[in-house]
Amino acid sequence: MSQILFTLFSLFTVVCAVGVVASKNAVNGAMCLLLCLAGVAGLFVQLHAYLLAFLLLLVYAGAVVALFLFIIMLLDTQGGRAWRFQGLQLAAALVGLGLLLAGLNLLAVRGRLPAPVPVVSAGAPLKNYAYQLFTTYLLPVQVIGFLLLIAMLGVIVLSKRFDAKGEA
Amino acid sequence: MHPSLESYVLLSALLFVIGFFGVLLRSNTLVIYMSLELMLVAATLALVAFSQYNGTIDGDVFVFFILTVAAAEVAVGLAIIVALFRRKQTILVSDLDSLKN
Amino acid sequence: MDLKTLPIDSPDARIAVAVLLIPLISAAVIALALRRRGGIAAAISVLAAAAVAVGALQLALAGGRFQASVEWLRFGSFSISLGIRFDDLAALMLSIVGIVGLCVHVFSLTYMADDSAKARYFAGLSVFMFSMIGIVLAENLFMIFVFWELVGFSSYLLINHWFERPAAAAAAKKAFIVNRVGDLGFLLGIVACYWLQGTVSLGELAARAAAGSLIYSRAVPLLLFCGAVGKSAQLPLQVWLPDAMEGPSPVSALIHAATMVAAGIYMLCRIHVLMVPEALNVIAWVGTFTALYAAVCAIPQRDIKKVLAYSTVSQLGYMVAAFGLGRGGAGEGAAMFHLTTHAFFKALLFLGAGSVIYGCHHEQDIFKMGGLRSRMPLTFWTFTIGVAAIIGFPGLAGFFSKDAILALAFENNRAIFALLALTAVLTGFYMVRLWKIVFLGACQSDQAKHAHEGGIALVLPLLALAVLAVLGGYRGLYPHDVFAGVLAEVPEAEGSLQTFLLIASILIVIIGAGAALAFYRPPASGISEDSLERASPGLFGALVVWQQSFDRIYGYYVAKIQQRFAILLNYVDIVGISGIAVRGVAGIAEMAGMGARKVHTGRVSTYVYWFLAGVVVLWAFAAGILSLQR
Repeated sequence: MSQILFTLFSLFTVVCAVGVVASKNAVNGAMCLLLCLAGVAGLFVQLHAYLLAFLLLLVYAGAVVALFLFIIMLLDTQGGRAWRFQGLQLAAALVGLGLLLAGLNLLAVRGRLPAPVPVVSAGAPLKNYAYQLFTTYLLPVQVIGFLLLIAMLGVIVLSKRFDAKGEA
Repeated sequence: MHPSLESYVLLSALLFVIGFFGVLLRSNTLVIYMSLELMLVAATLALVAFSQYNGTIDGDVFVFFILTVAAAEVAVGLAIIVALFRRKQTILVSDLDSLKN
Repeated sequence: MDLKTLPIDSPDARIAVAVLLIPLISAAVIALALRRRGGIAAAISVLAAAAVAVGALQLALAGGRFQASVEWLRFGSFSISLGIRFDDLAALMLSIVGIVGLCVHVFSLTYMADDSAKARYFAGLSVFMFSMIGIVLAENLFMIFVFWELVGFSSYLLINHWFERPAAAAAAKKAFIVNRVGDLGFLLGIVACYWLQGTVSLGELAARAAAGSLIYSRAVPLLLFCGAVGKSAQLPLQVWLPDAMEGPSPVSALIHAATMVAAGIYMLCRIHVLMVPEALNVIAWVGTFTALYAAVCAIPQRDIKKVLAYSTVSQLGYMVAAFGLGRGGAGEGAAMFHLTTHAFFKALLFLGAGSVIYGCHHEQDIFKMGGLRSRMPLTFWTFTIGVAAIIGFPGLAGFFSKDAILALAFENNRAIFALLALTAVLTGFYMVRLWKIVFLGACQSDQAKHAHEGGIALVLPLLALAVLAVLGGYRGLYPHDVFAGVLAEVPEAEGSLQTFLLIASILIVIIGAGAALAFYRPPASGISEDSLERASPGLFGALVVWQQSFDRIYGYYVAKIQQRFAILLNYVDIVGISGIAVRGVAGIAEMAGMGARKVHTGRVSTYVYWFLAGVVVLWAFAAGILSLQR
């Protein structure tokens, strides 16, 4: 059962990802991203990371993609071209593909991943997350807070319009 | 019957590569940025898979941070793109060549 | 004969250094301050020459014999020092340089009186005096070489005095270049000497020779002899001396007769400890052939100075041959003795020629002179003494020195003796020819008719040198036996050999002079013509070809071989060096720059590709494909 679900969700995610990259219209791309994120959220649920699934949907799909859509519509793009292959790009793409295949090969042949452990916990309760965040990972939490502050300031500065006299 | 860890890692790699191709091949800055986000999501997927299969919670907690950083990054990045658009009236990466030669 | 080693600030050494530096100071003062004031420049230069003469005689007659040196440069174990080696040889040479130099300076006062570049001339003379004294006093071969080059430079300067004349400029170049060829051999010899012996100091070499620890080689003396070949105009580098007559007559007297060309002989005497029998043999034959060749060349000459120039080459050949023949000091003695007497009478002859040229308003063709005996009596009588001295008239200086050389030759190498005797006959022949055509007979041109003596400054040096030419051969007359170290070595024939040589010398004089007196007659009509040319044009033509042969060979070599080689090298330079090496390197740098520029496309996608490339490299490292270790 979970295998089927997994296949379904992964297929869905991949198709949407390709849609993000390949779509001509940026808005279409943003919509595909949204759906892709939904697929990934489903996969998270399968991995029993329920909190993360919802956080993904709330933060990523809800805020980030929405912001993307705002900006796309603000900038009123004319719709770029889809991909066009030039010589060097083709070469680089092929190299990338080759890397992928080689990596997969390595993984398959020499991967030392642990044998699939029939899983375990039915997902950790929220308390565990909180506990980790406030003890082991306290420093990163503080740093992230600081980072958010700076990002906010940065965005405010960047988006000011300066007139000719150099004043905002 | 659960899917093996390899499948999750494979899926994550696939998403990552798709996002990477998007960065390489598209000329619309916003689409490039979205592909970037796709790559980040792929990384989070791998992290969660590993965390699940090792029975620890560290991977999950780390995804928190990735999410936060991604949000901040998107905000700043989009602000930069908007400022760039005000200057150059374009968002096509192929037009941004003031550093040429 | 050991010399005392004195410190450089002892009184004798100080006088020697003063004698060396006074002409240099004079030249510097003239060059820096007195360029336009010819009169004052002349006075300063003459005073300097007088000071040098006084100092030289003081050192030679009253001072002791010594050596002194200071270390100048040191590179690890290799050191170069500057010093003075004042033995009898140096004393003799210094006296000659001083006396003849003074005479020439005084003579120049009148001769160059209305020259426009008098100051430059006198500065050149002072530079020459400095350089020549440097060679005389030098303590090691390196110093000799430095002053050697300086002497060559001052010779160039003075030959080129009237540089507006293309002939003079060409002659100066020729002199310098031919000298350079000889100097190359000289320099190689010095290097070889240092490499072999570990020292170039003459004192050191003499000490080692006395102790028996000198390393002999055949190459070193022959290479050093190359320098003498160049400087003393021996075959095959004698071509520059006749051309050097483009300079003023006093210059020819001082430089190209008495002192500079004698420097080669002097140098040979200085390094006599290095000689080996094979080298001496070569030297003797080179000298003999030079003497004979030049004597034949002198016969068809029209220019009074050219005759004297070839005569100088011939006499230098005598000196070189004498050096080469000698065993155990006799060679140096004979050569230096002849050098001394030759300096006196050749300077006398050149100054006399200068007086004649001056009197005839700068006419140098002897067939336009004639009859000067009555018009310039003092010049005539002094010139006659000079001619008599050079042909070996018994009783005069040249007789004794030539006798010594012939004695040496007779004892050691009969073939050379025969050739030298033949050369002596020819010497008599062409010198008397010159004397007769210039002074006797009727005047051949208006200038000769209006000739007159030039004044006291011209005549006084002539008289002084005439006295020396007469008395210089009597070695007993040299005060206090001062030059005993050299003059005592002069070979003297004894007994039957002496009588034989006496008779032979007298016969040589009679045959040579008599033939010339009888043969050369002034032409019936007023056309100036050589009697020999008139009598036998074939022989005359052959003599001219003989004289020009060397110049023709060198000209051919330079034009055909050297010039083509130079063109080839020029091509290599343009294509290879500046084209490929210089511009090629610049081109490569430029292309590298252009290539680097192309990387900065300014497009984000390009940079992302570079990221990919970096990732590939990192992945290769991670996978173990690339590795930093072997």
